[in-house]
Amino acid sequence: MVGVMNSVEAVIASIQGLSASSGDLSALHDLLKGAEESLRADSDVKLSTLEQLDPSKHSLGYLYILDVLTSGPVSEEKASDVILLIARFINSCDAGQIRLASEKFVSLCKRLKDNVVKLNDPLRGVASLLTAVYKVQASTKRLTALHPDCLQLCLQAKKYKAGFSILSDDILEVDQPRDFFLYCYYGGMICIGLKKFQKASELLFNAVTAPMHLVNAIALEAYKKYILVSLILNGQFTNSLPKCASTAAQRNLKTLCIHYIELGNCYNDGGIAELEALVVANSSHFEADTNLGLVKQAVSSLYKRNILRLTQKYLTLSLEDIAKMVNLANAKEAEMHVLQMIQDGQIHALINQKDGMVRFLEDPEQYKTSEMIEIMDSVIKRTIGLSKNLLAMDDSLLCDPLYLGKVGRERQRYDFGDDFDTVPQKFSM
Amino acid sequence: MAPSSSSGLTFKLHPLVIVNISDHFTRVKTQFNPPASVCATGNGSSTGDAMFLQNPRVYGCVIGVQKGRTVEIFNSFELLFDPTTDTLDRSFLEKKQELYKKVFPDFYILGWYSTGSDANEADMHIHKALMDINECPVYVLLNPAINHAQKDLPVTIYESEFHVIDGIPQPIFVHTSYTIETVEAERISVDHVAHLKPSDGGSAATQLAAHLTGIHSAIKMLNSRIRVLYQYLVAMQKGDIPCENSLLRQVSSLLRSLPAAQSEKFQDDFLMEYNDKLLMSYLAMLTNCASNMNEVVDKFNTAYERHSRRGGRPTLM
Repeated sequence: MVGVMNSVEAVIASIQGLSASSGDLSALHDLLKGAEESLRADSDVKLSTLEQLDPSKHSLGYLYILDVLTSGPVSEEKASDVILLIARFINSCDAGQIRLASEKFVSLCKRLKDNVVKLNDPLRGVASLLTAVYKVQASTKRLTALHPDCLQLCLQAKKYKAGFSILSDDILEVDQPRDFFLYCYYGGMICIGLKKFQKASELLFNAVTAPMHLVNAIALEAYKKYILVSLILNGQFTNSLPKCASTAAQRNLKTLCIHYIELGNCYNDGGIAELEALVVANSSHFEADTNLGLVKQAVSSLYKRNILRLTQKYLTLSLEDIAKMVNLANAKEAEMHVLQMIQDGQIHALINQKDGMVRFLEDPEQYKTSEMIEIMDSVIKRTIGLSKNLLAMDDSLLCDPLYLGKVGRERQRYDFGDDFDTVPQKFSM
Repeated sequence: MAPSSSSGLTFKLHPLVIVNISDHFTRVKTQFNPPASVCATGNGSSTGDAMFLQNPRVYGCVIGVQKGRTVEIFNSFELLFDPTTDTLDRSFLEKKQELYKKVFPDFYILGWYSTGSDANEADMHIHKALMDINECPVYVLLNPAINHAQKDLPVTIYESEFHVIDGIPQPIFVHTSYTIETVEAERISVDHVAHLKPSDGGSAATQLAAHLTGIHSAIKMLNSRIRVLYQYLVAMQKGDIPCENSLLRQVSSLLRSLPAAQSEKFQDDFLMEYNDKLLMSYLAMLTNCASNMNEVVDKFNTAYERHSRRGGRPTLM
């Protein structure tokens, strides 16, 4: 017993001693990895041992001990204590030390999420997970395993704005493809919740066209939502998947979403009555996919799309005519729709209320204000940054042995005589 | 090292002389320092050449016209230097002088030039030797070391004056100031040289880049000078510096000569043109980005496609 106690004491002492500099920290890390098994077996590791450590200075050691404490099954009453403990740790821990043991940290946060979900109170976990994401991220361009968990909690708590703050960074590096799919899918849903359909469409597009060998469920759900969002956003439906989608996706996705494709085709024809009939007919499918709300939004967007098409044909139109052509009930409703669209910036028009005429105008943007200069400047800077990233990727691909091998093989097919060197098949470094 | 000259002569230097000297120096330097692969076989040269390998000294003569108090140096030609006697080759000089007299009858030998960082004692030897051609020769010294911080030309002109040192009158080199004088023809060539890039001189991209760099540096200089003026005025306002009315008058006249275009229409047009330029560069950036993306995707597909999509013949690269 004494020996076992000593080991815990020894570990605590070494944590307190070795948490100062980075050289010490790596030594501490190895020590903790070795001691992990014994700590787990030790039943004397309790909350009181945690009190001896300061989470901000001894984050690495605290993390290990906390992990040992919370790894077993947790009952309902203890769940909220555990949540509090983990939340407090996340808030005060030191990001540099955490990154040395990122998988442990990620599993700890996942435990927090599970407990929070168990208690049916996702709100408690949102703030902690947000801080955790920023602390564990090695750089702002890297996707971590915590991103989708955080987004999931935000979705469940309906705190869309909090989730959106994570989405605004561009992601350039991904560790696990599953994280990426989940990230895009949940991100798309959060954007739909915030009614930012443009960004939602981009994220869902990424999920659909991400490389995959076999169709996975996340991409399937993402494709269904993608169809609906593109109906709401663009007012049209393209039957074919974008060419950059993987071959597996192109072959299989369409057969699995036939109802949505029917809906899309019906939308393209433009008839409100048929569309509504189709929705009612397939409502059970849509409801099973929890997409019914989105489908209803798509139906109401059909009015908008029809009015938009009117602007391309007519210069002025009376409100009654609009109502008749778009199959709305009366002029009042038409006026409401047009007003809404003007406010959203989808069309530019003037409503003359005296005689109920609507005059459609051109886009009044003259591109001669200083705000426009700032917008252009920021957009150009973004493009330059993107170009730099692409060039870096190009360079790294040029040095990739897989690429060089394939290029060499192609060149060998030409028989230009002996004066043409062949690229060696294998590079002995 | 040398004090300023007191002879009262004004010197005018033509850029042709500077270009000639630098060209001579560069040629000799590259001939002495061939590329490393050739050099590896061993020069067989004596250790005396080691000094030359770094920065060989070149020598030559400058010619021009002297009218009254103005000395104008128009041209130059190269001379052979005899390291054994430490003098310039006399017969060669006279032969060249004959030739040049036929083409430019007005030009006289005004002095000589060399490269280096400073004038030294051995140069006085050569200087004295030339004194029989021209009783007051000039010595033009070009410093070939490239110093990016230095804004002026690394060319100094020395005259010789008799100063009393240790009781003996001795000639020493003294600085003289000079101005650069250009003829129309010279201006064109100097312009051309200034905008040449080492790789390919005439392509549009480098010319545009050179043009824009020129404008950029000009604007930067303007900005820094305005900043200096501004700080000066602020300090004057605060009272740190005593008020100088003449300077204030100059500043106010400068301000009044600025273009008085503050009207609404000017703003509109200006912003519209600015936005148009921005839109064009945005379009260029997008095209550039799209082509980069295309390259990356092509390479990625060649590297990572599991089964090739090529049905017929492979495409020629």
